[in-house]
Amino acid sequence: MCGLAAAWLIVCAAAAPAHGQYGAPAAAAPKPAGAITIASFNIQVFGESKMAKSQVVEVLARVVRNFDIVAIQEVRAKSDEIVPAFVRAINADGSRYHYVIGPRQGRTVSKEQYAFIYDTTRIEVDPSSVGVVPDPQNKLHRPPLHARFRTKITPAEMAFTFWLVDIHTDPDEVPQELEALTGVFQAMQAARPDEDDVILLGDLNAGPPEFKSFQRIPGVAWAVSGVTTNTRRTKTYDNLVFTRPATSEYLGGWGVLDLQSTFGLSLDQALEVSDHNPVWGAFYPAEVRGAGLPPMAGAAAPVRR
Amino acid sequence: MPDIASLIKALTGADAAARAESAEALCRAGTDAVAAAVPLVKACGDSDDQVREWAVAALEDLGAPPAAALTALTALAGDAQPLVAYWATTLLGRSGKAAAAATPALAKSLADSGDPAVAQRAAWALGKIGPAAAAAKPALERALAAADPRLARLAQEALTAIGG
Repeated sequence: MCGLAAAWLIVCAAAAPAHGQYGAPAAAAPKPAGAITIASFNIQVFGESKMAKSQVVEVLARVVRNFDIVAIQEVRAKSDEIVPAFVRAINADGSRYHYVIGPRQGRTVSKEQYAFIYDTTRIEVDPSSVGVVPDPQNKLHRPPLHARFRTKITPAEMAFTFWLVDIHTDPDEVPQELEALTGVFQAMQAARPDEDDVILLGDLNAGPPEFKSFQRIPGVAWAVSGVTTNTRRTKTYDNLVFTRPATSEYLGGWGVLDLQSTFGLSLDQALEVSDHNPVWGAFYPAEVRGAGLPPMAGAAAPVRR
Repeated sequence: MPDIASLIKALTGADAAARAESAEALCRAGTDAVAAAVPLVKACGDSDDQVREWAVAALEDLGAPPAAALTALTALAGDAQPLVAYWATTLLGRSGKAAAAATPALAKSLADSGDPAVAQRAAWALGKIGPAAAAAKPALERALAAADPRLARLAQEALTAIGG
């Protein structure tokens, strides 16, 4: 476990206070054996015009390489080639990421897709688990994409398995959608008797003070609190929501990767990348039952509260 | 601060790439682009999909429009292009009771729009206007019986907000 903190330095640096000065990370460091990092990133209007800007794609690729899984929101394109091309850019340095993507969704002709991009050397997805949460009452503008993942860096019988539920709420109906998402979370908890770990993550257009409906979920917790997550550093919109003790694999480490400070960008340059910063949480890569994590695992995680 | 007036002008130019660039720049301007509320709503009817997508993204973060834009937005709420009507209606709803004069137009959208998303947004917007939208109560009461569960739910919420 001692190597855990050292190997996290790049990610931890990005998680330090938003106004700190950091150089851009070099190539992503080898990832630790003692943790996986799960991120959420709204890549605003991720389509042809953004992919045409090589400097933007390079920053986006470097962001993804820091994490084991990234839940993406706001793929907005007619083309089906945006995410495949992006994954090729990520893998240009020898990385081995792959993706799953959902259908186009939205009530108007302006549609969005969700995607999960994951490091295949450390994570695998159950292809049969990928789908859109049913929303027969049409309560959600863009019903979440769900998929079940498993870590590959621990023996299969011990591996941490979990649902990810990717969401981008409608900014004009946030309370109603958070209420609906409370039901979605509970439905996902009951979806499989052999899976107790549900991590709902994305652009909620709301921060913890607005999470009143989530409080009805026993043991609910969230990673990001007390900091801003948008690029302008004015709002807390993005988060990872789960329950404890069910997801006792959560190590307490989390952060906001500030695009400006991490990559040495001006505000306008950072806004060309996205109006959101990525947020992330760290999880133990093996299922934790009963007594919980060995003390060192939690202690080694970079805690920021 | 970007030159919003220049960006608005470029948004209506002949070159699609320049229009998309302008819409993107207005999006990056955030709430500073509020003076572009009406041109951005009109851009939702652009023939180029990247212009439309950036205009939508800009409108999502724009907040409430200036009072001076309400008359134009009221007219656009009945636009034949659903995405234009949807966003005009959304901005009227964000204006709350300041958009009370749009009540007849919104009631007409609620009743007559062939686009479910526009009708739903009209019900939502009337609820945001609140008691000042009382004239829309008959249209909202009719919408309670809609086969579309979301429309019926939003109509009920609007009637509750209007009260009386």
